[in-house]
Amino acid sequence: MVAVGWLSKNVAVIAVPIVTILFGILIGWLAQRSAFCSIGGFRDYFMWKQTRLLYGYLALIVGAFIGYLVFWLITPQAFEHFFWLLTSGLTPVPGAPVGLTVVGYIILAIIGGIGVGLIGVILGGCPLRQVVMTSEGNVKALLFVVGMCVGAVVYTAWISGWVVSLMKGLGIA
Amino acid sequence: MDEIKESAEDTASSLDTYARNPLVLGLLVGVFAAALQGLLISAGGPEAYGFCVACHTRDVVNDAVNSIAGTKLAIAAISQNAILPVLTVIGVLIGAFISAKFYQEFKTKTGSGVSYLWYLLGGLFFMAFALFMGGCPYRIALRVGYGDVVAFIGLLAIIAGVLVGIKIATAIAEREG
Repeated sequence: MVAVGWLSKNVAVIAVPIVTILFGILIGWLAQRSAFCSIGGFRDYFMWKQTRLLYGYLALIVGAFIGYLVFWLITPQAFEHFFWLLTSGLTPVPGAPVGLTVVGYIILAIIGGIGVGLIGVILGGCPLRQVVMTSEGNVKALLFVVGMCVGAVVYTAWISGWVVSLMKGLGIA
Repeated sequence: MDEIKESAEDTASSLDTYARNPLVLGLLVGVFAAALQGLLISAGGPEAYGFCVACHTRDVVNDAVNSIAGTKLAIAAISQNAILPVLTVIGVLIGAFISAKFYQEFKTKTGSGVSYLWYLLGGLFFMAFALFMGGCPYRIALRVGYGDVVAFIGLLAIIAGVLVGIKIATAIAEREG
C-alpha cells in the first residue's frame, strides 16, 4: 500500500523542496538563537549538570511523539506504521543499509551511535550545530560540513556495500 | 510614534526570548516534522524523515553528483520522486546566516591547517557513522518518537559515545595543561 498524505502525489512532488527549505530556515533561525545541540545537551549534562540543551533535545522527542500521535489519529493513512513497535516489531524504520537482519541493524546502530557521540563531543557539536556555526562564519565548522558532503558520496558509493557484505560474511546479518 | 516603535521592539525582543529557549525549537520542530510527513508522504518515504542533517545532506549531495556525473548513488524515495530533493539543510544554512547577520553575531573564525584537516575527516566519519544507524541524532529523535526500538538503542549508543568522548577530551586537555 502506498501511503497517502494530505497533498496528492502531483502536488507533493513539487512541494517537497519548497516546504523543506522553509522548514529549514525556521530551524536555522531558532538553532542560531538557542545554540541548539543534541550532543552538546548530553555533554553539558554529564560534565556540568546543565540541563538547558538536554531538555531541548528531549522536547524534540516529545514533540515528535505528540505530533505523530495527533496527526495519526486524524489521518492514519499518512502514518502507516505508527506506532512502529506495535506495527513492525523490532525492525528499524528504513534508512540504514538495506537487507540486514534485526541483529545486524542493532549492531550498526550501536557502532554508529558511539561514533556519532564520540566525534560530536571531540569536535564540539552535533551536525546541526556545525551547520549553524558555518553560517556564523566558523571555517572549521565549514570544513566539517564539507567533510560530511564528501562522506555522503564515499559512504553511499563504497562503505555501505562493504559493511553489508562484511556483516553477511561474518554471519551476523 | 515612539510608542509604536517601542512596542515593536518589545515584540521583537520577547520573540527572541522564545527563540533563545531550546524547548521552543525542540517542541516546534518535533510537531512540524510530524506535520511534514502528513503533508509530503505521497511523494515517497521513508517515514519519520521530517528532519535529518545527515540523510538530508546525503540526498542533496548524491542527487547533485548523480545529475553532474551521471552516477546512480542511492537517495531516499521522497528526494528521488520530487522535482528537487529535500532542502532542509540548505534552509538551515540560510536561516542561521540571516539570523546571525540580523543579531550581528556573524564573525569569521579561522583555525590552523591541522584543525581544518581534523574537522574535514571528522565530518566524513561522522556522516558514515550517522548513516550506519540510519540518521543523525535528530532523525533518531524523530524515530524514537515514532516508536522505533533500534533508534532508541542508537540513542543509548550516542550517550555512551558522548561519555567516552568526554573522557578522551578531558585526557587531551590535561596533557596539554
